[in-house]
Amino acid sequence: MMRAVLIDDEISNLENLRTLLAKHCPQVTIIATAQRVGDAVDAIEKYLPNLVFLDIQMGDKTGFDVLRLLPSRDFEVIFVTAYDQYGIQAVKFAALDYLLKPIDIEELMNAVNKAEHKLAAQTQTSQLDFLLQQLRKPETNVNKIALQMQGEIRYVALSEIIRCEADNTYTHFFLSSSEKIMVSKSLKEYADLLCPNGFLRTHQSHLVNPKYVKSWLKEDGGILLLLSGEKIPISKPNKDTVKQALQQANLTNSRRSLKSD
Amino acid sequence: MKKLAVTVLSFIITVPMVNAQKGVSPYVNYAAGGRLNMHVDSAAKNVYYANKFPNQPNTSFNYLPEVNHVSVQMYFQKTENPENFRYTILEDNKPLVVNKPINKEQLQDVIRKDHEWKDEVRDSTSLGTFPIKGKTITILTYDIKRPQDVYKSVFYGKPIPSAKIEVLAKRFATERGVDYSHIVNPKERIDLTFAEKDDELTIVKERSDLDYLYSTSIKDNKTGKIIFESTAWLYGGYLNEEDKLSPYVKIDKSIFKKSGDYEIIIQPMIRWDISLDNDVFKYDISPQEIEKYTARYTLAITLDQESYTKKEAFIYILIIAFFLGLVFLVILYFTRKRNKKKLAEQEQQKNAAKLQLNSIRSQLNPHFLFNALSGIQNLMNKNETDRANKYLAKFARLTRNVLDDKELISLSQEKTLLDDYLQMEQLRFGFQYEINPSEDLDLANIEIPSMLLQPFVENAVKHGISQQATAGKITIEFMKQANDLVLTVADNGNGFDTEKKHNGLGMQLSSSRIALLNRIYKENRFILAMQSTTNGTKIGLTLTDWL
Repeated sequence: MMRAVLIDDEISNLENLRTLLAKHCPQVTIIATAQRVGDAVDAIEKYLPNLVFLDIQMGDKTGFDVLRLLPSRDFEVIFVTAYDQYGIQAVKFAALDYLLKPIDIEELMNAVNKAEHKLAAQTQTSQLDFLLQQLRKPETNVNKIALQMQGEIRYVALSEIIRCEADNTYTHFFLSSSEKIMVSKSLKEYADLLCPNGFLRTHQSHLVNPKYVKSWLKEDGGILLLLSGEKIPISKPNKDTVKQALQQANLTNSRRSLKSD
Repeated sequence: MKKLAVTVLSFIITVPMVNAQKGVSPYVNYAAGGRLNMHVDSAAKNVYYANKFPNQPNTSFNYLPEVNHVSVQMYFQKTENPENFRYTILEDNKPLVVNKPINKEQLQDVIRKDHEWKDEVRDSTSLGTFPIKGKTITILTYDIKRPQDVYKSVFYGKPIPSAKIEVLAKRFATERGVDYSHIVNPKERIDLTFAEKDDELTIVKERSDLDYLYSTSIKDNKTGKIIFESTAWLYGGYLNEEDKLSPYVKIDKSIFKKSGDYEIIIQPMIRWDISLDNDVFKYDISPQEIEKYTARYTLAITLDQESYTKKEAFIYILIIAFFLGLVFLVILYFTRKRNKKKLAEQEQQKNAAKLQLNSIRSQLNPHFLFNALSGIQNLMNKNETDRANKYLAKFARLTRNVLDDKELISLSQEKTLLDDYLQMEQLRFGFQYEINPSEDLDLANIEIPSMLLQPFVENAVKHGISQQATAGKITIEFMKQANDLVLTVADNGNGFDTEKKHNGLGMQLSSSRIALLNRIYKENRFILAMQSTTNGTKIGLTLTDWL
């Protein structure tokens, strides 16, 4: 049984979510709703829910403010937002669940199911702490990502990631410690998260950290040789962007080494 | 023809036998000036004659460079009395005979068949036969009835000396009048500077017995033109070492128009192309020979102030005008180009501003759009189909307007849009609103940039009254103030610090929109005024001179 608190500054959204949950997620009992940050904190502290639906944009404030104001966060959160690119990016880095308004019933059910599983597994999650940490940093300076593994959350520094490889809807992460992590999310999702941080999408199935690129081989129309000795294909449409990105990365690298000398 | 005539005539002329002995041909007969006639060696070819000397009437100069002996006869018309005539003969400057009367006994009848004598018979007497080589024989004759009319014939048997400039004098103005600076015995090249005060150049020739023979000319070496010519000499003012007057010519500075080289040429006035030998035009004397008799000096003139001929001045003016014109054209071209560029830039800026405006407009708050959709979803889930339809239609109208990218919309359209928008927002937050257009505004025809007020209204909803639920109220007014259109949006929310920078998308967009609009509509000003207290916020947008 999940006891949920719904937090949204708009009454209609609360109504809507209530209706949808009642109809499609009978395992969820709504124990309280709140429209303001202060009320939300009070409700959570008073009713101790194990699931919180949290709107990100709340007038001048955000749902993150609610989390910050709580001394302990012993519940699953499903974020709900109409449109908030920055907030969602952070949520994704923390491998947390979110819903977009208007709410898709299937997504709602998936999210609730996932939360239910997590609660059942009783895994101690620190994802919310991680999220709040990330939010404190400037947008482009994210240096860690939460990877949701089977029954475990791994926080991996971006610099540790050598490359990612797609495997249908799964993604394999190859780390500098020779470890290989499999995550049940598509490479596309990680590409969206990591490309702004300098990662190169060389191929529809490959995402590479330029830090680990040794050289560009001209064989077969272009192949990246990694420091590990692995060869990563480069698809034609990505050639130019990869080349440019590598040149820029080289420039900044050499500048850095000059400075350290 | 003439040659033939001379030959025929020669037979008739009777010559004393003595002459034949001295190798003088009795058949070659030349006029020698005045009433004199002469016979020269038959071998002699070049006999030149000149008798046109300015200020020297009655003077003949017979140049006989190749002649050894010359015999001279004097003629009288039958109507004249030869006894009245006297003659003087000088060899060089030494008198051989002075004022001797004509020996009447020696007179002979002579007839010459030419156009001058016309078969007239005249009296002739010989004045003697003289060795001439290297000498000058001068014969003076006059009629005692008119002793002032002395005729002078010079028989010149040596090379004509080339003239020599004794002094070059430059006259200049002084405080008291004029003074001169002199160059004595100038060399072949003379450097001369004409300052403003200098006005005249005097060329003093070394005096000789033949002064009258020489003419002076000045040639501009640049153009090759003779710019000065004088056949006469002035006397008086310059005395040579022998206290005799030296001949000179005066030349005004004005003939020298330009700095540069000029040539002073002093040469004997003998028509070398007419020889008495045959009376036809030909040079029997070589140019080198003539050149020996010619004095040449180069005058290197420096003018302080160059003067220009009309033609030159015209050309210079033309050139200057051309260059000025060119410069003008170039300047014109560049200013035009710059203006064009400026205009293009302005146009570009305007376009860029419009584009930006459009992009801002279409960016209009996705947060609102999705929340509005969420509100409609709620209505559907609550089975309020009619209301869901109504709001869906409003939503469509709003998005359509955003997608339309229309630059201007009428006030009534704006009012409808704001109605739609506010009603959509009412779905999310319970609040009251009213839109009050002033009655003196022609809502259907006054146009304003589309989505002008929407961001402010959105801001009022978001920051003003979203927290207040049903107590919130938004008042929108369209007013006319003189020529200005004033649009206000007021809410009764908690207010905010107008100084504080807001992260709110709406307000950021609004201020940049106002800036962009001011760049596009240069004729009008968009003035944004904000008042915010704890009792509410009022935003006034004044469109100056809009009506």
